[in-house]
Amino acid sequence: MRITFQQELEELQSLLQEEGQLVLRSLRGALNALRHQDVELAQEVIAFDDEVDREYFAIQEGIQQLLARQTPVAVDLRLVLAMLHVNLHLERAADYCVTIAKLVKLAEALEGDASLVEGLEEMGMRAEEMLIVALESFADRDLERAELLVDLDELIDTANRRLVHDVLALGGKTELREWGLRMILVSRCLERIGDHAVDIGEQTAFLITGEFREFTDASHPDGGSNGRRA
Amino acid sequence: MTDTQSELVRIGGVNQETLAERERDLPPSEMRSVLFDVSDLQVAYAGKPALAGVSLDIYRNFVTAFIGPSGCGKSTFIRCFNRMNDLIPSASVHGTVRYHGVDLYGPEVDPVEVRKRIGMVFQKPNPFPKSIYDNIAFGPRVLDMKGNMDELVERALRQAALWDEVKDRLKESALSLSGGQQQRLCIARCLAVEPEVILMDEPASALDPISTTAIEDLMHGLKRDYTIVIVTHNMQQAARVADMTAFFSVKVSDDGKGRTGILVEYDTTSKIFTKPSDKRTEGYVTGRFG
Repeated sequence: MRITFQQELEELQSLLQEEGQLVLRSLRGALNALRHQDVELAQEVIAFDDEVDREYFAIQEGIQQLLARQTPVAVDLRLVLAMLHVNLHLERAADYCVTIAKLVKLAEALEGDASLVEGLEEMGMRAEEMLIVALESFADRDLERAELLVDLDELIDTANRRLVHDVLALGGKTELREWGLRMILVSRCLERIGDHAVDIGEQTAFLITGEFREFTDASHPDGGSNGRRA
Repeated sequence: MTDTQSELVRIGGVNQETLAERERDLPPSEMRSVLFDVSDLQVAYAGKPALAGVSLDIYRNFVTAFIGPSGCGKSTFIRCFNRMNDLIPSASVHGTVRYHGVDLYGPEVDPVEVRKRIGMVFQKPNPFPKSIYDNIAFGPRVLDMKGNMDELVERALRQAALWDEVKDRLKESALSLSGGQQQRLCIARCLAVEPEVILMDEPASALDPISTTAIEDLMHGLKRDYTIVIVTHNMQQAARVADMTAFFSVKVSDDGKGRTGILVEYDTTSKIFTKPSDKRTEGYVTGRFG
C-alpha cells in the first residue's frame, strides 16, 4: 500500500474542494454586488481572485510533483488527470466572477432595471447550484448526479437566451441600453460558469468510467455522439 | 462543392483515418497472429500446484509481460514456454502449450529443438568463463550451424546493441564486461542461434538504471524480428516495454496452506495501466495491495 501517495491524492482532492468553496464565495460576492450595486464589494471580489489563483497554483504544483514522483496508473492516473482539468475549470469560473464584478463597476452610474437584475440573480443561483452539484458529485464519485448537470445547464442556457429579449424590450433610452448591454455580458458569464460545471461533471464521468465523452456536443447538438475511448 | 464545403476545406480537415491509426496502438485482435496458445495450464511441484487454470495467447512480434506479486507463478509460467520445467524432476505440467499449433509437450517434440527456437535470458547475467567471441559462437558451434562464424558473431552483437562496445576486445573474457554488458552479451548469445522467441525472466532486475534502459530499448528494436516474453517485478518496466500484459496473482486455499498462482487479467498494456477490468489488477498496479 502506497500510503504517502494515497495521502497526497486525498490532500489534493480536499484542496480542490477548498478551491471550489472559494469560487462559490466569489460568485456569491459578485451576485450581491450586482444586486445592491455595491462597487466596494465588486472590488473585493476582484481582489479575492488572487486567493483562488494561489489555490490553483498549489494544486497545479501538487499534481506536477505527483506525476513526476509517483507515476500514477489506472484509477489514480484518471483521478490526477481529472483533477488537473477540474482545477482549471474552477479557476476559469472564478475569472468569470471577476468579469461580473468589473461589469458591476462599469454599470454603477447607469440606470438599471430591477426585474432584469432579479432574472440574473436567479441565473446566478442556478450557477451556484451547478457548481455545488459538480463539486459534490466529483467528491462522491456520483455519476448519476454529475449527469444531472446537463439538465441544469439547459435551464441556465434558456435564461441566457431570454435575457437578450428582455434587454431589447428595455426600450430606447441610451443609458438603459448601455446598462442592458453590460447585463448581457453578465448573463453570458453566468452561462459560462454553468458550462464549466458541466465540464467538471464530464471529468467525474471519466474518473468513474474511464471513457471520456462530452455530455453535450455543440458541434452535434442533435445527440450525435462524440464519445471517445480514454 | 457548396460555399460552406469549400470553406471547411480551406480550414483544413483532420484525416479521421490517421487519427484512428494514431489511437490504435496495436493491431485489432482478429489481425494478431497467435504464436503460443496456452490452454488450461497447470504446473505442480511435488504434487502441489504452483500455477493453475492458465489460458492465454501470445502474439507474434509482440512484447508480452507477466507481472504479479512474488509466488504468483509468473516465472514458473514463462519456463513452460521452452520446457525449462522439464529440468526440475518434481515438476509436472498439465494442460497444453501449443507453439505454431504444435503441442510443445507432445511425445514427438525434442526439448533441445524447442530451446533452440525459444531462447531464454535469465535474471543474473550468466556468461561462460570464455572470451566474448566464444560466448556467442558456442551455441552455433554446438548446433553445427552453417555460415561464416565471424559474421554471425558480429550480427548477434549488433542486434544486442553491444558491438560498438566490444568489437576491439572480442578475445577478452566475457567476465571483464560490466553487468549490463554481460546481460546484453547473454541476449546476443541467445540471438546467435536464431531463435524465434526470446523469453526473459527479470532480465534487468540486477542492472543499474542506464543498463536497464539499454535492455528496454533493445526490446523495442528486437520485436520487429522476434517475439519477446518477459517476466518483471518492475511494473513500470512492463508499462514501458510491453504491448500486452498479463497479471498473475496468488490464490490461497481455504485451509490457508496452499498457494496457487492464477491468471487474473490479460489485456493490452495500455488497458492494464489505465483502465484494468479486474479490481485485483487495479489494486496491484496502483500499489494498493499485492
